[in-house]
Amino acid sequence: MSQNTASGVWIVGEQKDGQMAAVTLELLTIGRWIADSLKEQLTVVMVGNDLDPMVGTLEEYGPNKIILVSGPSANQFIPEVYSESIAALVSKTTPSVILFPATYDGRDFAARLAARLQVGLAADCTEVSVDDEGRFVQVRPAFGGNLMAVINQPTAKPQLATLRPHITKPVKATTKVKPLVEHATVAVLPKNFDKKVLETVREVAEESGNLDEAEVVIGVGRGLGSLDNLKTVNKLAVLLNAAVGGSRGVVDAGWLPHSQQIGLTGRVISPKMYMALGISGAVQHLVGVRTAKEIVAINIDPEAPIFKVATYGIVGDLFSILPQLIKELESQPARN
Amino acid sequence: MVCVKQVPDVAEIRIDEVKHTLIRSGVPSILNPFDEFAVEEALRIREKSGGDVTVISMGPLQAKETLSKCLAMGADRAILLSDPKFAGADTWATSKTLAMTIQKIGFDVVLCGMKAVDGETSQVGPEIAELLGIPHVSYVKRVEINNDGRSLVAERMTEQGHQLIRSSIPCLLTATKALNVPRIPTLLSQMAAKKKEIEIFTADSIGAQKDQVGLPGSRTHVLKVFTPNLRTGECKILQADDKDAIPQLLGLLKKEGITQ
Repeated sequence: MSQNTASGVWIVGEQKDGQMAAVTLELLTIGRWIADSLKEQLTVVMVGNDLDPMVGTLEEYGPNKIILVSGPSANQFIPEVYSESIAALVSKTTPSVILFPATYDGRDFAARLAARLQVGLAADCTEVSVDDEGRFVQVRPAFGGNLMAVINQPTAKPQLATLRPHITKPVKATTKVKPLVEHATVAVLPKNFDKKVLETVREVAEESGNLDEAEVVIGVGRGLGSLDNLKTVNKLAVLLNAAVGGSRGVVDAGWLPHSQQIGLTGRVISPKMYMALGISGAVQHLVGVRTAKEIVAINIDPEAPIFKVATYGIVGDLFSILPQLIKELESQPARN
Repeated sequence: MVCVKQVPDVAEIRIDEVKHTLIRSGVPSILNPFDEFAVEEALRIREKSGGDVTVISMGPLQAKETLSKCLAMGADRAILLSDPKFAGADTWATSKTLAMTIQKIGFDVVLCGMKAVDGETSQVGPEIAELLGIPHVSYVKRVEINNDGRSLVAERMTEQGHQLIRSSIPCLLTATKALNVPRIPTLLSQMAAKKKEIEIFTADSIGAQKDQVGLPGSRTHVLKVFTPNLRTGECKILQADDKDAIPQLLGLLKKEGITQ
């Protein structure tokens, strides 16, 4: 890629069945800061069909350009198709920076795109900025959140980064610009291979949110006692609009699907608040929640390690505390 | 073909709270947990569909231990990519090195762990697939190779469940812990593994130029590292029978804008 002519900040948003993922607006917010700092234009790329109704929302966050990529193979997420489609856009005009959500799908096609363009990709960043020398700089955790690395990509453009959800609040643009809306055609799979999504199955209860997207995540541990007690937790989750995940022990016991495991051999999350219920706080679990803004712990054992990392803790029986909390929340006016 | 990595046991890492550095001495090196599921699945595919299992790793000579374990589990062949030229590789340079090796040896199905527990990028698998020009399925929970050996059906973990995906072979898969329960090497298999040689490949063996691999081939550069503030010791703890316990929690929820 030519270093000199590369210009512009792109974000590739995420949507599921026409529903915009919250992380898209967060990326737009950060993308605009980066674009302003670099004095470059901001472009948002969305892949999917019938996305025109989203333009109004996207506009509010101040992109200079909106590119909607659609076509027969845009209905389902296929990383090979996504990366090929973005590569086709990059070949026409090369941006200096592209930001992706650090979600299962985002990581998947961003990595293929990086390999295809022979450029770098900073994964799961918790912060990006432009430094005094005008360099695009990324900060990302490693070693289970024990270490943060500050990274730059001096040799190749575009510079790619996936960003964890919740690293900023979505902030609308103060100055309104009418963006250019372009339509592009989605790529097709290469002829030499075949791939198809046969079925998409939801295993998590309908009322339970997405661990990556939810502002509040409730984590349950073996202290939950039994699967039956999950009903009380789900009730709390609905009131707080929270997603429910758990420790390895809970997943191995079959109380929650594998997709909900938080920690070293599960998922790493960064919600606004992590509520650890009956979780003792083994290191293997803690590495999954270290970047949460607030950690609330309820545990019967005052010596539980979770209290060492929590910001607020209650020592006591989960099942005398939860009903009280639920009762209080139910008596409050509904959240907008 | 399975790609594995030797990693420090992340759960054993402690932070020197005075110097703000990682305490790595005394931390054992292990086979990356996700790679163990990948090796196990490769062995199961071999048992059902035939073929042989080659395990490759990039790292210092010390990583031979990790490959020995894979051989003891039952892998047929182990290759260690070890050359000072490979040092300092980022995900791009690592993927390039591994893809060049895989290409040289030949493959049907490539398996990797869904991520390494030290770097935690989840990128190397999909990047290798792109470089090999083959499809990939990430976060795999279950896989069935079809009888003709030309396609497979994999269950891919998603944020809230799974997808069933059909892919042609050759294909690359990245393993989650839901995939299987890895076998534990027996004394006998460990003895047998000791007789197998671990082949050492250098940059020359795979025909890589100096500027394609290691730090010179890398696109991302680490400017500095620091230890994050892990906010230990600032927890406010109340007893459940404290009349303020619930109100304070409600206050925190309100402060964070979670409730009104």
